[in-house]
Amino acid sequence: MTDKKAWDLSRRELMKMGLALGAGSALGGVLPGSARAQQLTMDWWWWGEQELPGLQKVVDGAVAAYKEATIKPMLQDTAVVISQFQTAAAAGNAPDIQYLWNGIYHMESVWFGYLRGLKELVKPEILTASTPTALSNFGGDTYRVGWYPLPMMWIYNKKLFEQAKLDPNAPPKTWEELLTACEALKTAGIEPLGGGIQDGYWSEWYISHSLPQNLDTIGEAVELFIGDKDFRDPKYHEHWTKLEELKTKGYLNADMSSLELYPGIDLVPAGKLAMGQSIGTRLPADLKTANGEVGVMTMPVFGKGKLAGIPLLDVQGLGISSNAEDPKAAAAFLEFLNAPEQLKAFWDATGWIPSNTTFDTSVITDATVRSMWETWGLGKNISNVTNVMPGQFYERAAIPTGQQIVQGSMTGEQAGELAAATAKEWREFNPDLVENYQKWVVDLSAG
Amino acid sequence: MNRTSRLTPYLYVAPLVLLMAFVFGYPLVRIFEFSFKMVRGIDGPWIGLRNYQLVLGQDLFWESVLHNLQLLLAIPVMVVVSLFVAILLYERVAGWKLYRIIVFVPFVLAIPIIAVVMKRMFQFSGPVNEVLRWLSLDFMALDWIGSSEVALWTVMILIIWRESALGIILFLARMMSLDESVIEAAKLEGANWWQRARYIILPQMRGVIEFFVVVSTITMLSAVFAYVYVIGGGRGGPGTATVVVEFYIFNALIRTSLPGIASAASVMLFLVSVLLIFPLFRARRRAALDEATR
Repeated sequence: MTDKKAWDLSRRELMKMGLALGAGSALGGVLPGSARAQQLTMDWWWWGEQELPGLQKVVDGAVAAYKEATIKPMLQDTAVVISQFQTAAAAGNAPDIQYLWNGIYHMESVWFGYLRGLKELVKPEILTASTPTALSNFGGDTYRVGWYPLPMMWIYNKKLFEQAKLDPNAPPKTWEELLTACEALKTAGIEPLGGGIQDGYWSEWYISHSLPQNLDTIGEAVELFIGDKDFRDPKYHEHWTKLEELKTKGYLNADMSSLELYPGIDLVPAGKLAMGQSIGTRLPADLKTANGEVGVMTMPVFGKGKLAGIPLLDVQGLGISSNAEDPKAAAAFLEFLNAPEQLKAFWDATGWIPSNTTFDTSVITDATVRSMWETWGLGKNISNVTNVMPGQFYERAAIPTGQQIVQGSMTGEQAGELAAATAKEWREFNPDLVENYQKWVVDLSAG
Repeated sequence: MNRTSRLTPYLYVAPLVLLMAFVFGYPLVRIFEFSFKMVRGIDGPWIGLRNYQLVLGQDLFWESVLHNLQLLLAIPVMVVVSLFVAILLYERVAGWKLYRIIVFVPFVLAIPIIAVVMKRMFQFSGPVNEVLRWLSLDFMALDWIGSSEVALWTVMILIIWRESALGIILFLARMMSLDESVIEAAKLEGANWWQRARYIILPQMRGVIEFFVVVSTITMLSAVFAYVYVIGGGRGGPGTATVVVEFYIFNALIRTSLPGIASAASVMLFLVSVLLIFPLFRARRRAALDEATR
């Protein structure tokens, strides 16, 4: 039962409280920034615990350590990371800081005017060191600060290579070498290549590695969608023809169509599959599973484009919404996340590298992981081309083509036709976005 | 009756009507409105029937409709399976009360749970194929969820297994209300199991069977999303082999940021569902009538 008396305030007491509040507000104007900022509250919507366990700890630690403002974090559900932000932004209620996937997954929000350019807000050296990638650039500005990197690579099982009498320290570099290695593995009774494509992501990753092989810039990929280039040109569907070749020669694992991405990757460290696509965040655990017998490689080269054979680096990032009450304060928090002690805390909590080229790599004890990061993260790298794909193309062409080729119901050439038809369909459905894509080509071709 | 008293009943129900209008009517109106707009974010310019033209001109939409129609093939199977099991239980075989609970379990479990389990079972190297290979039936060890030709049938198997549970319970409940003396008399007259089912039980079940068929039709057309989402790897795959209209709408709205397109497809699905509601009401009336005239 509520004690009513406890809530009864006399007029005098009310006046006292009013005076105290008024004095507090007035003092706020003359107190130093650090004391005043306690009153500033910023919302931070984030995602990533799902793909990088330990990130929750990073977030909690950063929020607790930050004294310039109160940060209210909220972990988003995977299905609504974009739609929740866009809906809130359209209603003027977006969080101050928003987690952003790369490329089109945040660029659409840029075009809608939901995100702020960061060049004027974040210190240039921090912005550059965080490696937001070229896909965050539009109209001369940059819209994300990098948070954590996702190097994309092929992995192989060294023991299985040895069993097939292949050099475990010299993975294939060219397509011909790959076919030779696959044949040797197959002859030795080992499934040479593949993974799991049932949930479609393997299709996407395959395009990430293979389509750039015949491109000179990422902007050239965008030209395929806006109609300046055509997927029916053999050069632009050669990657699917190569996948068809792997299928027809029997080099892909038999259960590939019914396995999902991650169980498919598991086959390589488990010694059941010789080669597959993977991602850097998995490498420490896979090395542990396979007692260090996992090697990393770039996709063997078949193409003649300038991007062929260059390591692939995707980066997840953070941005500032147009609704941010105090964009400078939001930028200060993003800079705080890139401070050396926060980068170290990131490593301690996740066992993974934060996206910052100034991160002290001496803490990485595993030689394979360090070498991978030096090559993929600190060396010359390219962005993930599938991140410039319109969603409609991704769902209708990028995913189904790979699945159908792997199950043997589509050729590489047919995949090119489907891709061209889907790109045309996308242009009809989204005449407004085509215009923005045309402008984006300028930034992407420069990068 | 004066004017005030005539209005009184309406005033009593008005708050609920307004609440219903807000909860169901407002979203419906917005969906109709969005279907005529090129929505970006939360609104967009009016474009007339363009969204409908784009949807109806897209192969994927018609492929989705075809998959929904294919799923209708499951209904006769569900009816037969449900009737068969219900009659067996009605005959009160030993342990029938326990069986009754067991057969209803699939319907109680959430679809994603049973779909995930089923998906593991039907993997190419999964338990189903392992058993088939062990029995030297290799030719039957198909790529159940990885082949475009088979995946939709796998979804159908799962739907039949789960949705039949509802049929069994509905049919059994109806049978329990039948006049047992007639069935006993038939037994005494020497009618066998099939004759009793065919000439005594089934004719009295018409109303409830119609009801189940209509409910199942609505399910197949507009409530199979969870099945295809899980079995199709969240993509309606392999390829587009398990994309149904609901999934098409989900993709348009969530994955490709096309609320206008999603709304146009939703409006069409809604109108088809509304058309099916009339036979549903008729079937319910008939079932109630059967019950009353028994």
